[in-house]
Amino acid sequence: MYPRILALAVAGAFAMAGTAFAQGQPATLVVPQTGEPKTLSPNMASDSHAFGPGSNVYSHLVALDWGIVKGTSAYGDLAESWETSADGKAVTFKLHKNVKFHDGKPVTAHDVKFTYDTIIRKKYPSFVVLKNVREIAVPDDHTVVLHLTDPETGFVPMLAQVSTWTAKIYPKHLWEGQDGFEGGPHLNAPIGSGPLKFVRWEKGGVVELEANPDYFRGKPKLDRLIYRPMADINVARAEFDAGRLHYLPYDYAPPLAEVPALRRNQNIKVVFTPSHFSRDIQLNLARPPLDKREVRQAIAHAIDRDAMNKLAFNGLWTPAIHASVESQGEWINRSAKFPEFDKVKAEKLLDEAGLPRKADGWRFAVTVTPPNFVDCKAMMEVLVQQLRQVGINAKLEQFDQATWFRRQFEKNFDISCYFTRYGPDPDAFREHFATGGGRNFQSFSNKELDEIAAKASVSRDKAERKKIYDRIQEIVVSELPYINLFNEQKTTLLRAGWDGFMIEESGFDKSLTWFGFYAVKPPGR
Amino acid sequence: MRLRRYVLLRVLQFVPVTLVVIVLNFLLIHLAPGDISLLLAGENADPAYLALVREKFGLDKPFLEQLWRYLVQVASGDLGLSFRSRQPVLGEILEKVPATLLLVGTSLLLSVAIGTWVGTWIARRPGSTLDSAVSFGAVALFSVPVFWFGLMLILLFTVEIPILPAMGMTSLDGPRSGIGYVLDIARHMVLPVAALMTVSVGQYVRLARTSVADVLGEHFITTVRAIGFPERTVLQHYALRNALLPVVTVLGLQLGLVLTGAVLTETVFSWPGLGRMIYEAILARDTPVIMGAFIVMSLTVALASLVTDLVYAALDPRVAL
Repeated sequence: MYPRILALAVAGAFAMAGTAFAQGQPATLVVPQTGEPKTLSPNMASDSHAFGPGSNVYSHLVALDWGIVKGTSAYGDLAESWETSADGKAVTFKLHKNVKFHDGKPVTAHDVKFTYDTIIRKKYPSFVVLKNVREIAVPDDHTVVLHLTDPETGFVPMLAQVSTWTAKIYPKHLWEGQDGFEGGPHLNAPIGSGPLKFVRWEKGGVVELEANPDYFRGKPKLDRLIYRPMADINVARAEFDAGRLHYLPYDYAPPLAEVPALRRNQNIKVVFTPSHFSRDIQLNLARPPLDKREVRQAIAHAIDRDAMNKLAFNGLWTPAIHASVESQGEWINRSAKFPEFDKVKAEKLLDEAGLPRKADGWRFAVTVTPPNFVDCKAMMEVLVQQLRQVGINAKLEQFDQATWFRRQFEKNFDISCYFTRYGPDPDAFREHFATGGGRNFQSFSNKELDEIAAKASVSRDKAERKKIYDRIQEIVVSELPYINLFNEQKTTLLRAGWDGFMIEESGFDKSLTWFGFYAVKPPGR
Repeated sequence: MRLRRYVLLRVLQFVPVTLVVIVLNFLLIHLAPGDISLLLAGENADPAYLALVREKFGLDKPFLEQLWRYLVQVASGDLGLSFRSRQPVLGEILEKVPATLLLVGTSLLLSVAIGTWVGTWIARRPGSTLDSAVSFGAVALFSVPVFWFGLMLILLFTVEIPILPAMGMTSLDGPRSGIGYVLDIARHMVLPVAALMTVSVGQYVRLARTSVADVLGEHFITTVRAIGFPERTVLQHYALRNALLPVVTVLGLQLGLVLTGAVLTETVFSWPGLGRMIYEAILARDTPVIMGAFIVMSLTVALASLVTDLVYAALDPRVAL
């Protein structure tokens, strides 16, 4: 009954033409969110529903957005340019002049220093990146120098990435009386220097922002931005189908099986956006028999990515056969490939590894644990079947997200679906594959990789780094601590006529963060 | 005097009840697997930062110490700070109370009124076709999952025939004061109240029907009828008053649940109430908010049962306090 009504609703939406905003009529965009912000002070806690309002009200020193999938690892927001010293231990940022906070006061280097000093002192979430900052100097009002404890080539891209979430630049003159960013009059009435200004927050209901006419890059095309909590995915979809929402973010992605029908609808744009993450499996090397390389090779040979793509994603995702994702462009080592699909070879390798099929037909048992992602679950259901075909008695086990994460950190798993990161800087390899790396849940340890990765991390010679990361990818596809399966892909729905969203190419490198709406063009504008 | 002592005694009982609730909930939340610090630290935290977060929120302390600290804190009237917003939990809860009270209270009162009226009405002829039809309908209604029914209402009245708003409590650009504001909220209440009521009204229909039918078979009703009172007076003054006790019991129980909100309904209709807050807090393991909400709820339940007992005594002189 439900799909039929939904189909009716979709049909109804066909009839609705994309409405253009006449001049003089405010162009409003309503953005649904699965939950409400806890506060409007994004710097002090990892509050995923505050990232949206925060990213549009506040500016950042440097930013990045989905343009990362086309190779932009960081661009200046308040920073006009930056330069790293020869020893790699100081980064000097020149700031744009004539940038003003929404209360009219100028944005200066002192605001940047104040914000970052507070984050470091209070150990707020972006401390993860800023912990390498030893001292912040302000030689003049429009120059800020970050002195690093250790040289770190990926520092600016990592700062840009963490800024999209929790390193917004706060006005010093309004916050200095507070202990941190946790209270005071601007906690829930933020004054920033971003393209949109805060208007009101109706607790439990909407957060309303309006265009900042004095924004230094020019007034946004959008007049009004409304964040509205909608916890139920089906309700948000019904609102979109009824034409009352113009934008359905990927948190509300429709089932991929519906995509062909949606694509036939001329009033709807289906946008696929790649990312700098993959969807892959991690193998726990501390658990026999996964400690044997031949067994990991056999598992890699047992996987048919094309079949998995059809079954899990309606054939709409892009399989990944390299130890990277397509968005990494020149950093991909295209000659380093994971073992290809070959069931016979898989069985042969397992036989040779001393794991023949026993009387009941099984060689050994493994548990496959996906995190609480729709895509991982769909993939792992297929993986289990594919492993069973070569005699590996695989079974699926699911946990809530917090439990799954804890088990990963405790290295308590056999095979887990995972989301390996490759950008904004390829130094990301270290986090996943270097001995003791923060996300090396596989207990993988390779002396050569450790050495060269550490070297690449501080090197500023791009050709040298490229060579090293090529070698790292060779090591990874041969040692197989993980097996890459797909390029991650987000699905977003837009009403025709709307353009410039962060997830579209027209919004790349000018959206100012993952959550920025600065580049959005309403129909008729 | 006796009444005052009774009330005082009952209020004193709240203390051990609350204590047990706190300890039990604290135990349950900490028994649940998963690591709160992972959720608090955010997307790309490393183990060193995780340790820092644990220390900052006192999550590195032994379980008993955490419990003891919490009890001392609650005893001084402080429900603590939300892990996520760093704001006082009590404030967060009180902020959401009016919306929930309005939604659940309205639907509860309407359910009781309509349910009792219908139940009494069909109780006059037990076993008739009308009785069977209504009873069947009542059972069917309270078997319907409320989130599904809510979704159907939304599809029907906001998509197919777009006459009502589907979400929130107010319109985006609606009036913010005066009669227009009240009407705007009323319009937003129609669907969620209808969804909640549909599920609970059946219960009262069944309850009222059964107990009124029972009472109608008693000797005193025969006597009253023999005296020649009109049927309406028989029903309303004699049968219903005596049949109301079970209805009051159930109403009392549900009244206690008013503040637990209607998690599913509030979620489907994006209603800014306690239910949705608890749902989000549970997903994020915001322990202080969950605990605070549980304490407030348990107090409401205790309070509601006290009120129920008092109403009982007023309705039925045979009940001694």
